Amino acid sequence: MHLDFGRRSILETNGMSVLTAGEVVARIKAKLGFPWRDTTYRDTFKFGGADTPVTGIATTMFCSYDVIRRAAEAGCNMIIPHEDTYWNDRDDIAIDNGDVSYKMKVDFMRAHNIAVFRIHDHMHAQKPDFIYVGAARALGLESKYETAPQSHHFTLPETTLVELAATFQKRLGDKAIRVVGDPRAKVSRLQLGVGYATPNISSKDVDVVVSGEQQESDGQLDSPAYVMDAMTLGIAKGWIMLGHSISEEQGMLEMAEWIKGFTPEVPVQLVRTNEPYWVPK
Amino acid sequence: MHHISRRTFVALTATGIATAPGALLAGPVRKGVTAREIADRIQKDLGGEWKPDTVDAFKAGDPSTVVTGIVTTSLASLDVLQRAVKVGASLIVSCEPTFFARADTPTPPARRAFPAPSGGPGASAPPTPAPLTPAPPDPVFSAKDEFIRKHNLVVLRLSDHWRLRTPDPFAQGLASTLGWSKFATAGDPAVIIVPEMSLEALVSHVKKTLGVRGGMRIVGDPQQRVRKVALLPGSTAIDASLKALPEVDAIIAGEVREWEAVEYVRDTVALGGRKSLMLLGRIVSEQPGMQVCAQWLKTIVPEVACTSISAGDPYWRPTA
Repeated sequence: MHLDFGRRSILETNGMSVLTAGEVVARIKAKLGFPWRDTTYRDTFKFGGADTPVTGIATTMFCSYDVIRRAAEAGCNMIIPHEDTYWNDRDDIAIDNGDVSYKMKVDFMRAHNIAVFRIHDHMHAQKPDFIYVGAARALGLESKYETAPQSHHFTLPETTLVELAATFQKRLGDKAIRVVGDPRAKVSRLQLGVGYATPNISSKDVDVVVSGEQQESDGQLDSPAYVMDAMTLGIAKGWIMLGHSISEEQGMLEMAEWIKGFTPEVPVQLVRTNEPYWVPK
Repeated sequence: MHHISRRTFVALTATGIATAPGALLAGPVRKGVTAREIADRIQKDLGGEWKPDTVDAFKAGDPSTVVTGIVTTSLASLDVLQRAVKVGASLIVSCEPTFFARADTPTPPARRAFPAPSGGPGASAPPTPAPLTPAPPDPVFSAKDEFIRKHNLVVLRLSDHWRLRTPDPFAQGLASTLGWSKFATAGDPAVIIVPEMSLEALVSHVKKTLGVRGGMRIVGDPQQRVRKVALLPGSTAIDASLKALPEVDAIIAGEVREWEAVEYVRDTVALGGRKSLMLLGRIVSEQPGMQVCAQWLKTIVPEVACTSISAGDPYWRPTA
């Protein structure tokens, strides 16, 4: 309490105003271009609060312990992740309580005066959706190939599924990329999805879907099983899963650039979450 | 002369019908066992009551078909159906949907326009969901349908109630396929104590034994020493991993959500925990449990042959 008071008075003496996490969030809300939806359970503070003085801002994909540590080292105590902090979408801490990793993660955040504010639903509702902008940029899907603006549907020069997947893997450095379908299938019409929003592979105007992750079976939309059967029938279809983190991470670079435009008081940067996996030879 | 298989003859002999020479020709011809009779036996043996919202039901074909043989599989892919026909089977018992999604209908179901309001991270959250629109005919659905009709196949999905059996047949099957049945802890096939080895060696053994291609992904230090392993085949939510991980060195799972168990294990490792997570893929991870199913079906349907056919690993990697 005494220390906080002391810090504030030093800043005031130097004639600097303190940027708070609440002020950063207020500016994000004002700049979005559409009203904030208070019904969101995702886009809220996950740790710390509006009063936290901000020294720097780090955007990231997953608010992992490693990201928090690296952000703190880089002088960023406000973290703006796209995904969850406590390993469930609702960030319901009741399910983690008592877990050693949970306790250590929270202790670290407390010790480093971290504030975490997630931006997910409003980001996907933004025009354009930075997540798609970042993914398309990283994959080399140029806008001249996009069928209609923001359709995320691309008509590419015809290639094979294996060549397309190899190109993506090379561009992203994505070790754990997973592909379903005949490697020699000729593909051209690509529907881009991100994260867990994987487009329907059985759509007539789609040869290949690219996305982050999707449940392998028993879901709402057609699964890899559809692509396996298409392969048996000689119908050209492909399914490329980049991994959730890899597929959306570049969108958080766009987000960092956007936030930088209205928070001149502090440094803003992307702290990469990186791919969580390794794969056997 | 009626064709009668050796197996059927043995079954008839056992019931006393074929004891006297000529009895077969003189008496009424036994019609064989139908798919519906087999489904009834399955239900009866698994406890009788079926959950009201279950996915376990016939998905294709005529249940009154006389069954020539049974194939179990984690996924009734077209390739598995073709191989089933080759071995003379007409009933396919599949853990996962035949028609690509939970709706599991032989024609494409009516769907909402993309993006679907699925609710998972990464999904957009439109204020109002798009209306359902009927789907046009689909060449993959149609061809599969036609193949099933042409070969008089019947497909039965068996997932919910097979999973409820104790001991868990999916964990039991996975342990058995990996050669670990003897290492199972007392009464729990899902917790195994293997001879100590590195995570890298464990991965190599699992990959080789299960024939996994691109579906395998690992979180953790390759040099980590592993003894105690939890088996979570199929698809599991975060609570299963939160419960299992503190008790073991490694989890071997089918599929988990990346924003759940993958990040949980990544954090635990980053915080100094000597833990790891090995993902196999859902379909690959469930195949051994369906092999157990074939063994069990032999005991309740002795009239026909029953084998298990693997759909294989759906995934590959450009560099693999």
